[in-house]
Amino acid sequence: MAFLKILFDNLREGPATEAFPFGEAATPDAYRGKVTFDETNCVGCNMCEHVCAGGAIRFSEKEDGLHFLIWHNTCISCGLCAHYCPTKAIKLSNDWHLSHLQEEKYEQVDHAVVPYRHCTSCGERLQPGGPMLHQLAFKGTNPRSQRLMNMCPDCRRKASYSGEAL
Amino acid sequence: MDFFSKAARKSPWLYRINAGSCNGCDVELATTACIPRYDVERLGCQYCGSPKHADIVLITGPLTARVKDKVLRVYNEIPDPKVTVAVGICPISGGVFRESYAIEGPIDRYLPVDVNVPGCPPRPQAIIEGIAKAIEIWAKRA
Repeated sequence: MAFLKILFDNLREGPATEAFPFGEAATPDAYRGKVTFDETNCVGCNMCEHVCAGGAIRFSEKEDGLHFLIWHNTCISCGLCAHYCPTKAIKLSNDWHLSHLQEEKYEQVDHAVVPYRHCTSCGERLQPGGPMLHQLAFKGTNPRSQRLMNMCPDCRRKASYSGEAL
Repeated sequence: MDFFSKAARKSPWLYRINAGSCNGCDVELATTACIPRYDVERLGCQYCGSPKHADIVLITGPLTARVKDKVLRVYNEIPDPKVTVAVGICPISGGVFRESYAIEGPIDRYLPVDVNVPGCPPRPQAIIEGIAKAIEIWAKRA
C-alpha cells in the first residue's frame, strides 16, 4: 500500500518538473552566469584579463580610454575575474539566457570604454581610478585626498611638498 | 507521406556527439533527459542511439584532433535535413582549450552549426532553451 502515500504526495505537491520553457525557471541569486562590467569603478589594473581562464577578456589602450571587451562565448563563468577585481567593477550576474543562433555568434560581446583621467595640474594622462579605489585605499575621503587623487605623481609630490594641498 | 512529415515536424529525435568533451556538458545533457525535474521530452523530442534516426544533433567538446575524423564520419551519417546545436563553449569557441595544438575546433570550421548554447557547462534549462530554438528551426526544415 506504499503507493498510496506516493500518490497522495504527488497530488498534494504537484508535478516535480520545472515549468521552463513554458514558465519561469528558478535561479539562485549566487548563480554564476553572464559577466557584467561597470566602467565607472574599473581602475584598469587588467587583473581580470590576466586571470581569465578562457581568455574571454581583452583590454586595449586607445586614445579615448581603456577599451574593455568580453566575448561571452568563451567565458567559463569561473568567477576568477570577480574574485580578483579590487573594486568589484566586474561581477557575475545570474543571467543564463545565453543561447543564440549561429548568426549572432560574434555579437555575444560586451564592450565598454574606461575613460582616462587627466592631471588637474598639468593635464598629463593618468590611469583610470574611480572613487571606489579611493575609498579602498584610504578608508574614507577628505577634500585634500580628493584633490591629490586627480594629480599625476609629480604634481602630487610638488603639491604635498609646497604645502598647497593642505 | 505527408502525414509522416507532419508528425516528424513535431517530434524531432536528438542525438549526442561527444567531440572530445570533458563530460561536463554530457552530464548536463543526460540530466535534461533523465531527470523528471527538467524532462526535455515535454518538447516532443527524444534521445536516440543511432545517428541514422537523428534530427537534431547536440555536439559537445572542442573537436580534438584525435576525434575529428570520427565525429565528421558520424555527422555525415545523420540524414538531411538536420539541425546542429553546439552545447558548451568548447564547440563554439574552443573555450579554455582555445589555440591548443590538440584542438581542431571551433566546430563551425567543419560543420554547419545552427544554435549555440554557451556555458561551462550550460545549466539544463539553458540546454532546453537551446533545444527549443533548434526545434523552431527544425519545424521550418522538416
